[in-house]
Amino acid sequence: MPEVFIDNERYEFEGDYMALQFILDLGKEVPFFCYHPSMSIPANCRQCMVKAGQYIKDEETGEYELDENGERKIRWFPKMQTSCALKLSDGMVIQTQETSEEAERAQKDTLEFLLINHPLDCPICDQAGECPLQIQTYKYGPEGSRFEVKKVHKPKRVQLGPRVTLDAERCINCTRCVRFAEEISETNQLTIVSRGDKNYPMTAPSETFDDPYSLNTVDICPVGALTSTDFRFKARVWEMNQTPSIDITNGKGCNIDLWTRDNEVLRITPRHNPEVNDYWMPDEGREAFEQFNKNRVSRPSITLDENNQSNTSWNNAVETFAEILEAHDPDQLAVFGTPHASVEENYAFNKFFNLLGASNARFTPHIIPGYGDDFLITDDQAPNTNGCRLINLEETDDTGIQSAVTSAKVVIILSDDLVGRGVLSADDLADRYTISLATNQSDTTEASDLVIPITCVAEHAASYVNIDGRIQRSFPAKETKYTNRRLNLEMSEGRLDRYGTNFDNWVNEEHKIDCLPVWEFLNHLGERIGLEFQYDHSRAIFDEMSDRIDPLKGISYERMDEELGVQLPIEQQEVTQA
Amino acid sequence: MVEDWKSYEPLIIPDIPNLHRIEVYEEHDGYRAFRRILDNPEEWSRTNVTNEVKAANIRGRGGAGFNAGLKWSFMPQPDERPRYLACNGDESEPGTFKDRNIFEFNPHLFIEGALIAAYAMSVDVIYVYIRGEYIDWVRIFEKAVEEAYEKGYLGEDILGTGIDIEMYTTYGAGAYICGEETGMLESLEGKRGYPRIKPPFPAQKGLWGNPTTINNIETLANVPLVINNGADWYQSIGAEDHNGPVLYGISGHVNKPGVYEYPAGMPVEDLIYDVAGGIRGNKELKALIPGGTSTPVLRADQLEGVSMDSNSLRDAGSMMGTAGMVVLDEDTDMVDLLWRITHFFHHESCGQCTPCREGTGWLEKVLLKIKNGEGEIKDLDLLLDMTTQMEGRTICALADAAAWPVRHTINRFRDEFEERCKKSVHAVA
Repeated sequence: MPEVFIDNERYEFEGDYMALQFILDLGKEVPFFCYHPSMSIPANCRQCMVKAGQYIKDEETGEYELDENGERKIRWFPKMQTSCALKLSDGMVIQTQETSEEAERAQKDTLEFLLINHPLDCPICDQAGECPLQIQTYKYGPEGSRFEVKKVHKPKRVQLGPRVTLDAERCINCTRCVRFAEEISETNQLTIVSRGDKNYPMTAPSETFDDPYSLNTVDICPVGALTSTDFRFKARVWEMNQTPSIDITNGKGCNIDLWTRDNEVLRITPRHNPEVNDYWMPDEGREAFEQFNKNRVSRPSITLDENNQSNTSWNNAVETFAEILEAHDPDQLAVFGTPHASVEENYAFNKFFNLLGASNARFTPHIIPGYGDDFLITDDQAPNTNGCRLINLEETDDTGIQSAVTSAKVVIILSDDLVGRGVLSADDLADRYTISLATNQSDTTEASDLVIPITCVAEHAASYVNIDGRIQRSFPAKETKYTNRRLNLEMSEGRLDRYGTNFDNWVNEEHKIDCLPVWEFLNHLGERIGLEFQYDHSRAIFDEMSDRIDPLKGISYERMDEELGVQLPIEQQEVTQA
Repeated sequence: MVEDWKSYEPLIIPDIPNLHRIEVYEEHDGYRAFRRILDNPEEWSRTNVTNEVKAANIRGRGGAGFNAGLKWSFMPQPDERPRYLACNGDESEPGTFKDRNIFEFNPHLFIEGALIAAYAMSVDVIYVYIRGEYIDWVRIFEKAVEEAYEKGYLGEDILGTGIDIEMYTTYGAGAYICGEETGMLESLEGKRGYPRIKPPFPAQKGLWGNPTTINNIETLANVPLVINNGADWYQSIGAEDHNGPVLYGISGHVNKPGVYEYPAGMPVEDLIYDVAGGIRGNKELKALIPGGTSTPVLRADQLEGVSMDSNSLRDAGSMMGTAGMVVLDEDTDMVDLLWRITHFFHHESCGQCTPCREGTGWLEKVLLKIKNGEGEIKDLDLLLDMTTQMEGRTICALADAAAWPVRHTINRFRDEFEERCKKSVHAVA
């Protein structure tokens, strides 16, 4: 097998490899800016320079030639090589900054150049704390500056498009954003304008950067040149908790991170998953962060008289719900699950009403034909359509939902804005007692007689099955009134959580939603009406499902965490559907 | 060194009126070399043409001085992909203005050379990329191409041989970097003139990913001479290891600036004092930039016995470049001159690679500071440091081209630079 020698260690490799990627895969480090594993290699930042050469092989014997001291002879390349564009070949010798002073010097020199015209406004820059330029300057850069002349001035606060703001002075011209728009989103909306040290990325005159994936350029920008218009100046990265989760705005299930501070989700960024979304996600999914904080249903509410909903206690909510259930036969109930909620929620919800004697909950997929693209935006507006199929909810269409409502006395809707998305009208529900278990205020909750606030994807651990049949799960990222970050082992903790107290600036009770996970509410309700129904945690639900549902056999939260989600044999599932 | 140059008759830009017209060119044996090849395809197989040109060792006239025939031989075997010849007429380094004379006075010689090259490399399409500021010469050249099409030298089924070669003329928008060979390819493809990383080399992956060879205009104009007279004859002209006629573009403080055709290896002093009519106002020679402003400047005392060929200039401490000689007299302010050169490279850096983008600007700003009398001695060392930080660290050679003049001008005229710097405020014991 071909071999390379990196920092005096021997490694074997197979196939085509660029030195930088190979070194990174080894877990070693070489600083770089313009290189991105999912895009073309321009080798323009010149940061990843290494010293490289080749052991000289005797053509006839195939053996390495030795010098008088018995050492292998090396033919060094005449110039420093950018490792990102250096293709490994058999017998190649590479010295990174760890073993070569020349490489270390070359990297330092490039950083000095990168910094001379950089504004060094880190204290007010959003990128600070997660800035490759800052980090690598700290690690590999020169001390102080020899630059005593005027910096180049370029446009600042340029609104490139509805979601992205440019500070051209911070730009280091790595062209990652330009290449993203060319190669990944393929809108070609960006280019570099002007020349030399005056150049910066820009749209064509009068064009706006309204690429549906535009915010990915903010993620990959190695400096603070491109910032999210919405998130600018809102929070420092080190103040936030970063919790892995799943994009619930469409069927793709992009892997994401929820960034929270003081129990508010402040931004959403993609999490690398080569099987689903690579490094990317649509802008729509990021804009969803508001729905976790605002317009939430907090505390149960009840309609006392017409058009007058008012908050009520959990006790009263349970009592009212129980009375309604006791006053009706199971066949007078129309029970609707939803592709907008997780598998666990739907399963527990459906099981509860099965135990009561009702048939399987119905659901209707939320599809807008033609809405998607062939990248990460899907026609399916919901994250868990396949999950509903997986647990055998009764799939129906809008008319099926309507006729179920017509023949029912009580309508129970799990987290689905059926009125808002036009499946039902408020009038359809007017003469029926309607109970909504919902995360957010909607036309449906408004038309309901009893609204039970439940946790959203940012507040519970639960799994979702995407359009390709991959099951992936969320973690609780923000507390509710009834959870405690330090007691909940699923929750990530930031520095502030660890050291903050109730008197800390960052602890604000108002941001905690007064809601319960569906299963927990149903525990209370079951206890009240004497139903044998008890799940302590969504894990218990998932364990039960993986025992009972074939495609979920052998799957656990741990496996999903390790493997970034698990592909289910979903075709098989579709066959059993038919 | 060439001594009998006075009897030399120009071959590339001979003194023949209206040679740019195809009838006149044909009257003077124009397109004879090309016809000879087409008429004797066995004697002049594609390989034989390449070998003849390789044996003649036409050193690339665009500055790098690489053997043109050898370059042709790097083209892969023909496959289903189209093959291109891209002709570089984007000369825009200060001091370089020789290709312009070919476009104006003998465009058909170049067209013929390009056709022979295209034949030798089985090329289907020739692109001619001309400096945008040369719009008048673009028009002259386009007319010549039109004539060549009319006469059947270009287009489909050339002279009834079944060979098809198309030629397209295009011109730049004013960027020096588009004269860098891969920058030119990008520009030809309609993109920003960002030089490409090599490998892959253009012969493997050039225009639109297809095999492409890039030659300078003057280089190709030498090709018909080689075919007509043979490699041995070509080797007999000029200096050892650097043959053939060269267009010397002489500018600066001389009485008769202009483009002069003489053999390679001309004595520098003869070129300045005889050919270009001596220094203006009978001043003393101070320095010479031998081959365009990127080549290292030579002091007058370094020029003794030096001739214009790569070996002699290398020994003297500079390079042949494009033979665009900038003659500087005793009144030249080297600080001003160097500042102006760095201004050029700062303005022309494409901005792709960090060391060049940032370095060229920094060089200019520090030199401006020194020029304005605000520099300090340490700035000179900073400038020299910067040149080391830039050289060999970028995709193309523009950073080198910007760094060399700074390093060599400061090293060779350090006194002048130190004199312009602020005096140290610290007492020296």
